[in-house]
Amino acid sequence: MTGTPAGRTALALVWLALLGMAGWWLASQLRMEEDLRRFLPSPRTPAQILLVDELGEGPGSRLLLAAVHGAPAEVLAARSQALRAALQADPRIALVANGDDNGLDAVPGHLRPYRYLLSPTLDTQALDAAYLQQELQARLQDLGSPAGDLVEPLLPSDPTLEILHLAEAWQPAHAPQRLHGVWFDRDGAQALLLIQTRAAGFDSAGQLEAVAAIEAAFAGAAAGQADAAQLELSGPGAFAVAIRERTEREMTWIGTVDTIGLLLLLGLAYRRWSMPLLGALPLASAGLAGLLAVALAFDGVHGITIAFGFTLIGVAQDYPIHFFSHLRPGVSPWHNVRALWPTLITGVAATCIAYATFLFSGVEGLKQLAVFTIVGLGVAAAATRWLLPALVGPTRRDPAHSALLARLWHGIARLPRPRRALAGLAVVALAAIAFAPGTFWQNDLSRLTPVPPADLQRDAQLRAELGAPDVRYMLALQAADADAALQASERLLPVLAQARADGLLDGYDLAARYLPSAATQRARQARLPEAATLQADLEQALADSPFRADAFAPFLEDVATARTAAPLTAAALAGTPLELGVGSLLLQGADHATALVSLSGLHDPAALAARVQASGAQLLDLKQASESLVAQWRVRLLAALTVAALLLVGVVWLALRSPRRVLRVVAPMALSTLLIVAVLRVLGVELNLFHLVSLILAAGLGLDYALFFDHAGDDRDDQLRTLHAVIVCSLTTLLVFSLLALSSIPVLRAIGGTVALGVLFNFVLSLFIARADALEKAA
Amino acid sequence: MLQAVARPAPSRTAFVELRQSAMLKQPLRLQGEYRSEPGGRLVREVTAPYAETTTLADGQAVIVRGNRAPRTISLQQVPELAAVQAGFGALLSGDRALLERTYTVDASGARERWTLRLVPRDPRLAAALQRIDLHGRGAELRCVESVPAKGEAQRTLMAGAAAAAVGVDDPAALAALCHGDRGTP
Repeated sequence: MTGTPAGRTALALVWLALLGMAGWWLASQLRMEEDLRRFLPSPRTPAQILLVDELGEGPGSRLLLAAVHGAPAEVLAARSQALRAALQADPRIALVANGDDNGLDAVPGHLRPYRYLLSPTLDTQALDAAYLQQELQARLQDLGSPAGDLVEPLLPSDPTLEILHLAEAWQPAHAPQRLHGVWFDRDGAQALLLIQTRAAGFDSAGQLEAVAAIEAAFAGAAAGQADAAQLELSGPGAFAVAIRERTEREMTWIGTVDTIGLLLLLGLAYRRWSMPLLGALPLASAGLAGLLAVALAFDGVHGITIAFGFTLIGVAQDYPIHFFSHLRPGVSPWHNVRALWPTLITGVAATCIAYATFLFSGVEGLKQLAVFTIVGLGVAAAATRWLLPALVGPTRRDPAHSALLARLWHGIARLPRPRRALAGLAVVALAAIAFAPGTFWQNDLSRLTPVPPADLQRDAQLRAELGAPDVRYMLALQAADADAALQASERLLPVLAQARADGLLDGYDLAARYLPSAATQRARQARLPEAATLQADLEQALADSPFRADAFAPFLEDVATARTAAPLTAAALAGTPLELGVGSLLLQGADHATALVSLSGLHDPAALAARVQASGAQLLDLKQASESLVAQWRVRLLAALTVAALLLVGVVWLALRSPRRVLRVVAPMALSTLLIVAVLRVLGVELNLFHLVSLILAAGLGLDYALFFDHAGDDRDDQLRTLHAVIVCSLTTLLVFSLLALSSIPVLRAIGGTVALGVLFNFVLSLFIARADALEKAA
Repeated sequence: MLQAVARPAPSRTAFVELRQSAMLKQPLRLQGEYRSEPGGRLVREVTAPYAETTTLADGQAVIVRGNRAPRTISLQQVPELAAVQAGFGALLSGDRALLERTYTVDASGARERWTLRLVPRDPRLAAALQRIDLHGRGAELRCVESVPAKGEAQRTLMAGAAAAAVGVDDPAALAALCHGDRGTP
């Protein structure tokens, strides 16, 4: 059956070409989802629903805080201006503020008459002759003041400067000081900017682009300048980008060392250069087939599916190794693979059936994971069974003839089967798991991608200077529609003002600050004087003033327009600078609307929650909501795993048909799992989702080791080949995952440490428990 | 030229300013004094026809009227004010380098009657402000004339020119005083 060398090369090239095409198609078609919420179960509590369905991770998560420092203040101010100008034109940036904004641009010309409906001034002040006279005197002084040029164009239509009152009211409550026209910190050492990205906070690719755009804009502004001004970015997006870069850096060296190590190991084990290359084909096929299946079955593939999935199908790397270790001169590869197949397929089937339980977990992310791993493992097994034998040439070596292996085999055969000691070990492990101090589960997702404490402190400092909103807490008000939500917000305004006065928080922002409800706007319309009355009052006010009698005709027109205009709605703000502020704080669903209140400098969340409760607002703790989702995800996963474990034992039972052999195969895997958890607990490690997924991989590896040891073949040589295979398998896996365990990234460390421990425990315990009777008899 | 002007830096000087606007029946005439304070602060105090104090420092102007809350304005938004400050800054410190960072400086005339013409380098500033002319005699800065990109020139007469402007209301006569065409101490 084994063809000519040329035929084998051709077949390998065809296979590679197919993989390449699949990879190319996936790269162009695959839609990656980065939103963690899509990987988590359906939300249940109001906070979860808001978190998942409406908020994303909250408007705060899209904010980047920027500081420019390291040069004299004028230089920093100029750089801040240049950065703002460049970013305003950038489609990836939704909003950039540096304090150089008198607020006049916020209201476009055609909406200017609405100032009398938006501003609260006339709620307490009649627009009569006395007020106009007093205002006109102030305007005369304005004209004579250094700000004369600034106000002069506004005066004909706005003698009370209502538009400036609005602009002042809309300034952030805790705006930083301005030097040279832009925001500076208290010491005047750094110019500050707030930048809102278009991409959501969780969209790490989008955040990466936004951060790159900001850095490029800064570099562009700094080009040709001799100063040492530097840009510093903080905020969730900047942190995500930093951790991503760090992960990529570490993965690069880990990947390089892995590749060299694997090539050396496999080269040493088989003494043929083609083995490492051929051995990679089933795993590569598994990954691509898994991705293809998920891409076809679902709308998009979640980033975490890919991360978890590739971890889980790592077990497929062992399939070709078992096959290679059984190759020997004079026996066709096809014969070998047929002899191995029953054992191999038992492991694959048991694992796949176990993963199938994820399909019924009700969690989209787990379903994707199930499809990915089942298809991946199936393809890897099929590739090993039906494609790989056609690719390997005749071999000259038989691992069974290795003297070293023979000595090892004899040593192993003399090992005891310490039943009691192992049972005792299980009890000790259980006790350690139960009584080790510290939290068992880690729900805080942010701890998986930790931000260095210095950066966190810097972030808090910048956030306080800029009065930027809290990323964890916000208030939410739900109502039947947008206007009802605005009305409810208006009732909340005095409560918030009082809370700020009492020191519960430093500042807040909500849509009603910019856009009053229709009822409030109508009440203000009713207070505006009729055209004739206003004209008479204005004439009276102008009688003895230095202003010309006809100077304020546009003012009369604007008031007349405001009196009869339809109240301004959120929809009418589309395309104006106000749209962004109102839009992100007033969320409109199909049958309801939610008004959000972003909070800054929140000192006492519990007290604020109690104060606002009567107004129908609730305090959302986004961190708590996402943690509860993670906990829910874990409960579903553990439930699925329990069923999976039972199914797995069932499949092994069907294949082996002997209670004693089933126990021998399953016991090492179960005991290893206990030992891994015990070691992690004793080391004070809090378990997260990545540990859990890694435990599943470790169990899958253990199952295969035990199955192969249990059915090591009928003669001594076959058993030696099996021993060779399992040693190569565990060494390669140990190499890959030990390196991951050295990483500084908690996710990689969790996966690496868990699997490396698992390989170690499973290998040793399989030797003690699962090795075939034949091995014992032969000894 | 600048060095000559800078040496006897006056700590205070009277001024007369004429504000023209299409909205006004006649130009608004302001009187008061400019004075320099420690820490590089420049104070513009209007005494007639009303009382108002403006303090210029750190790129911003703080305006105080009676007992109302002070208003703060960025100098970048008010090029005219930046112009006044630049004129005084040059006068008080004699720091030509500082001035030349913001403006191209062109001196003309003789010591007895000189003009420094400042043209903004920054296109943003140039969009609002065409130029500033500083007129003087000997060590005395007599007039700051700022010419906006649109609209009429605004003039602040100081020192001898301010004294000569007492009782003069005609814009053309004041412009002549500013340019040093008329009046001697």
